[in-house]
Amino acid sequence: MFKLDRKSILIGASLFASSALLFTGCLPSSTSVNEKTNASASSKLGQYEIKSKTAIDGGVTYVRANGVETAYAYNQQNTKGVSFGRTATPNEIKAWDRDSLHDGTGLPEGEGSVELGEELYDAQCVSCHGDFGAGGRGYPQLSGGNQSKDENGVVITLKNQRVYGKTEAPKRTIGTYWPKATTLFTYIRDAMPYAHPKSLTNDETYAITAYLLAQNRIKIDGETMDDEYILDKEKLAKVVLPNNNGFYPDIDGPNGPENVRAFFANRAKNIGAGIRCMSDCKDPGGIDGKTETAVMTIEYEMSDVKPPYSTVRDLPPEQEDKTISKAEKMYNVSCKLCHATPQMGAPVIGDVDAWKSVIAKGFDKVLVNSIAGIGGMPPKGGNEDLTDTDMKLIVEFMIDSSKKK
Amino acid sequence: MAKMKIKAKAKGDIVNVKAMFTSLMADKEEAEKKKISVEYITYIVAKHNGNIVYEANTSGFMSENPLVKFDFKGGKEGDKIEFTTIDNNGKTETGSEKIK
Repeated sequence: MFKLDRKSILIGASLFASSALLFTGCLPSSTSVNEKTNASASSKLGQYEIKSKTAIDGGVTYVRANGVETAYAYNQQNTKGVSFGRTATPNEIKAWDRDSLHDGTGLPEGEGSVELGEELYDAQCVSCHGDFGAGGRGYPQLSGGNQSKDENGVVITLKNQRVYGKTEAPKRTIGTYWPKATTLFTYIRDAMPYAHPKSLTNDETYAITAYLLAQNRIKIDGETMDDEYILDKEKLAKVVLPNNNGFYPDIDGPNGPENVRAFFANRAKNIGAGIRCMSDCKDPGGIDGKTETAVMTIEYEMSDVKPPYSTVRDLPPEQEDKTISKAEKMYNVSCKLCHATPQMGAPVIGDVDAWKSVIAKGFDKVLVNSIAGIGGMPPKGGNEDLTDTDMKLIVEFMIDSSKKK
Repeated sequence: MAKMKIKAKAKGDIVNVKAMFTSLMADKEEAEKKKISVEYITYIVAKHNGNIVYEANTSGFMSENPLVKFDFKGGKEGDKIEFTTIDNNGKTETGSEKIK
């Protein structure tokens, strides 16, 4: 298998089983070739499921010839006369096939010490990944976050997070998340440093790999990696990272899809998810899966609020103020501006002395003046909408309010 | 060396030191929120030939797994620099590293 597929497996494992089918599903399965060939004969192109087998995790499977199934529809058009180019030469394949498996196959010769790795790391990696691999803003943390126990005593791993559903996910560093160490080598060689990838020699890559493993306090064959430790091909293949078994089912090899099927057949054990419950639900809960607790429900519904939220969308009705008369209201709107304060020059309402001379003119005269305007006062106080009847009410109100009581 | 990482490099007579300590650095408030035990380093001291070259009183204001950097004069290649931390539970950690 080529590099692309190997890298995909790491990603695929984290994406879980849906992608497991995607990347490894194209491999022929040795166990049930005949069975599947029969199934493919009876099912049409793009058919949703193989009747004899369940699709992995509800995903769609497509049958191809020779017992192969894929996640994509397979183009079965006649390709006679279509030129696919020439066959790749062995050298071309060799240049392309640079991947390494987790058992060490495909790793190049070379060696590097932790000390050299530290020097290289400080020169080329530290600006993004931080001192000691502690992580930088926006760039991945490489060390730290070692697997620890949560408050229930459950070790924080991917598997425990799935099964118990209550622990937190481990931090995604090499020490706590990566399943295989050889990926580290291939990734650094091909993609790092970010600004100028593929600039490191194999020896330098081994050195940086060694440094990062040392920073994650990985032991190789029980041996602590100190500054003088020299990592090579054989030793790298021996590394067992803490999260080695965190990703499963085993999607490697031709039996990958079958492993995934077996894994999902027992959901309760492997995922922790049981049967979906719609009424009178109990949570299996607890680490031992025995203690039962009531399932959490919504504590406060919308209608529990007091007073309950209104669903009426009108504006609230205007409350009529019955303490004041209609005349006073009109006065407030049209006359108050000038007649409430002495600064405006108009006789102030309630001021008995000021109104004495006005009242002396007689009611009719005052009314006429108020309608036609007098001195600084505009006709009808400037509000032409008022009728003469309104004016009469207002003048009555103002005189009444300004009489001696 | 178990719970701290130290790096010391001599440049002339100046030594650049970096050190990272393993601690949750969770004060009471944060520990309650995260439901973890209260644990934070309260005192960090670095010694070179018995002389204190760095000293700090710390608390929850520092981040998880705190990192300190400083320079000091008078160190030589091959000398030892020794760190001691004390956390709120009275736990003492020491670690030493040769200056390179």
